[in-house]
Amino acid sequence: MDNLDAARLQMAFTLIFHIIFACIGMVMPFFMVVAHKKWLNTKNPIYLTLTKSWQKGVAIFFVTGAVSGTALSFELGLLWPEFMKHAGPIIGMPFSLEGAAFFVEALALGFYLYGWNKLPEKFHWFTGVIVGISGVASGILVVSANGWMNAPSGFDYINGEFLNIDPVKALFNPAWFTQALHMTLAAFTATGFAVAGIHAFQVYKKRQAELHKKAFKIAITFGAIAAVLQPLSGDLSAKDIAERQPVKLAAMEAHYHTEKGAPLYIGGIVDNEKQEISYKIEIPKALSFLAFGDFNAEVKGLNDFPEDVRPNVAIVHYAFQIMVGIGTLLLVVGILFFISLKKKTWWQNNRFWLLFTILAPMGFIALEAGWIVTEVGRQPWIIHNIMKTKDAVTPMPGMIYSFYMYVILYTVLTIAVTWLMVRQIKFLNNSKSV
Amino acid sequence: MLYVVLFFLVFSLLLYVVLAGADFGAGIVELFSSEKNQQITKKTVYRVMGPVWEANHIWIIIIMVILWVGFPGFYNILVLYLHIPLTLVLLGITLRGVAFVFRHYDAYKDKSQILYDWMFRISSLVTPIFLGMTFGAMISGNITVTDNYETLSFYDLFIAPWCNGFSFFVGLFFAALCAFLASVLLIGEANEVERAIYVKKSRIATITVIILGFVVLSYGYINETTFVIHFIKNPYAITLAALSALLILPLLRSIRRARKVTTRTFTGLQVVLILIAALIAQYPNLIITSESEISILETVATDSVIKVLGITLIIGGLVILPGLFHLLKSFKMIKIFEQ
Ligand code: HDD
Ligand code: HEM
Ligand code: HEM
Repeated sequence: MDNLDAARLQMAFTLIFHIIFACIGMVMPFFMVVAHKKWLNTKNPIYLTLTKSWQKGVAIFFVTGAVSGTALSFELGLLWPEFMKHAGPIIGMPFSLEGAAFFVEALALGFYLYGWNKLPEKFHWFTGVIVGISGVASGILVVSANGWMNAPSGFDYINGEFLNIDPVKALFNPAWFTQALHMTLAAFTATGFAVAGIHAFQVYKKRQAELHKKAFKIAITFGAIAAVLQPLSGDLSAKDIAERQPVKLAAMEAHYHTEKGAPLYIGGIVDNEKQEISYKIEIPKALSFLAFGDFNAEVKGLNDFPEDVRPNVAIVHYAFQIMVGIGTLLLVVGILFFISLKKKTWWQNNRFWLLFTILAPMGFIALEAGWIVTEVGRQPWIIHNIMKTKDAVTPMPGMIYSFYMYVILYTVLTIAVTWLMVRQIKFLNNSKSV
Repeated sequence: MLYVVLFFLVFSLLLYVVLAGADFGAGIVELFSSEKNQQITKKTVYRVMGPVWEANHIWIIIIMVILWVGFPGFYNILVLYLHIPLTLVLLGITLRGVAFVFRHYDAYKDKSQILYDWMFRISSLVTPIFLGMTFGAMISGNITVTDNYETLSFYDLFIAPWCNGFSFFVGLFFAALCAFLASVLLIGEANEVERAIYVKKSRIATITVIILGFVVLSYGYINETTFVIHFIKNPYAITLAALSALLILPLLRSIRRARKVTTRTFTGLQVVLILIAALIAQYPNLIITSESEISILETVATDSVIKVLGITLIIGGLVILPGLFHLLKSFKMIKIFEQ
């Protein structure tokens, strides 16, 4: 493997890891403050137990998110020094604001975790809300930086130089809104379904069912609302891509030939050599409609672009299918959940709990797949149409060892955090207060 | 506006060194304690550091962001040639952070604690050493800036800059400084019986810092390290260093009398003085390569960027600093107001 591939893999690997922790660290505080609020309102001790146990989860994930994020903030420079040299000043604004948001989050978390019985009740609860809000703010800001890589703006690119830099314009680049909206919803969907799934499993196993049902309900409510909105926001993203990065759209759809009234391909096997896709389901004219809101609009195919600016079609296409497939599934299940609120008998049925247990990882799988679409779909560019990834990579040889080191480190961490969570749940199930 | 940005850069650096330094140091103190005292220290550290733990470590992110936004060329050299020690710092930060939460949030307190404890203690020592080595490497004069990566060996480009005696001694010096900060901080937090432990520790740490400080300077002097020559010749730097040294006497007395606030003020002041002395000696040429000195001001971003960065920092500062202050105060890290 050459240096570039090693650096890419390392970046991908660390981001895939970070995003899980970041999302949980960003969304869990909301579950926690809802449980906390219910405790304050009802004084039902179950909610206190739940709040305290989620708070531990938040603390663990926050720190893992923070250290992996710190690693990323170094890595951007360590792996892509050329990129950061030019992009750093331009996208510094979201990153410095993000720094501030993280800081607020860390401070608020300090107040929240250590403030039990020390701070006034309402203020203490409110610091929990601030943790959540600043977490989401930092997520949005960092995605805006990523949006800039897809839709570079706020500078003039003249003879290989970045002139007339306008950081504010770069922050509000054309991609920031659709991406940030979609990402924030994704975080809620993924975390909501994951947390709900874990508690559903405990109900399924008939351990402390009363507590876990309450936990399930809080988490899934967030998850289901987001899951219902997700396809709408995804459609906005797709329309955006069609305008801005047509080659990415073509790769997502494995669409080789430019045509009017383009069909939508679902599934299928990509053959990049023969430039076709077999065993697919074809919906006539649907792609033109989804991308441009017009059944007869022209959709550019991959063949219209030179070979050396096309991303890896197979990866992008499969990842996109996975995301949309899961998105549709979660939409349906989300609606089912809302119906189940009326049909209480479903909650007695163990298959209901089994269903949510199985769905637990789905949101995160979709989320990772979505990022793979975005990032691999942007290749070979690190800054779309401006700088190639291969020109940005560090000249230091031997990146593969660095990659191995991160793989080992993060694998161990993942195992350790999972183990810790299992112990947390075991502890919760054995706790006397319920 | 440039000066606002520089101010925040130096300010964040000082805060990082003092706050995170004390935090690293706590692990070092724990490492060099008897088994019984380790458990005591563990509890005290958690009580004192817990609430501000996260906040302490964000300063380094702020530093990185200011560097890459405001001084991209300067940052570029650091991340290129000091890739390896920075990666090792990162590894340390990661393991340490994780160990810290694990040992306090694991639902069951059983044998696995032993593992977390050792992970925490060892990474607490190793991380500041590599951090110090990175500082040392910047000014050791062993970095070779080039565009022709093929002409030089991997060793010359990526190892020699930091793997040398001078950097290594700076690394040890920095770790000792951390231990010094922590042991003094802990004195104020311990009860009557335990205080004796930390009084002893802080004496040892003080002496170690002095010895290592001399080692760094004399090693650099003998090898004619540019930085050391500049340092010794710079009247301001020397005055500040001397001032810092002079503070040792009142500090030791204040430790003996268990005066919490004065002790802490002296300690913080000493560390800040040492850092500022080092900065003044070299400012603005904060990187010394084998051929030249690179000024942080040479590589500054354009005015519009600096302006936005400055404004962001001011706004961020206005939000964060009162919050941080309040947090420290609420949890009685600083008791100035109670006295
Ligand atoms: C729970 C996760 C999840 C789910 C269910 C979906 N997505 Fe998604 N998608 C993401 C999570 C995600 C993501 C990981 O958050 C991405 C990556 C970058 C981004 O902004 O969001 C993303 C990117 C992304 C992009 C590319 C944006 C870009 O490159 O700028 C498109 C076109 C879609 N999505 C479309 C959809 C559609 C039509 C869905 C319909 C069901 C859908 N997504 C469900
Ligand atoms: C879509 C991608 C990302 C999202 C949504 C995201 C979001 C977050 C969130 C919410 C946190 C807070 C930690 C927590 O609450 O657990 C966090 C931590 C962090 N992230 Fe990311 N992040 C992303 C990618 C990145 C990237 C690419 C970088 C590198 C520049 C980065 C740098 C950081 C840093 C430095 C922290 C630690 C801050 C702290 O100590 O609180 N993140 N991230
Ligand atoms: C957290 C969710 C994210 C995931 C899972 C993710 C995934 C990936 C993947 C798979 C690659 C490798 C692409 C390839 O080389 O084929 C990559 C590259 C990269 N990503 Fe992301 N990404 C995420 C978010 C971000 C964000 C928020 C930023 C910046 C603000 C970012 C910056 C980069 C950079 C600089 C590269 C390397 C250059 C490149 O390959 O284009 N990523 N990421």
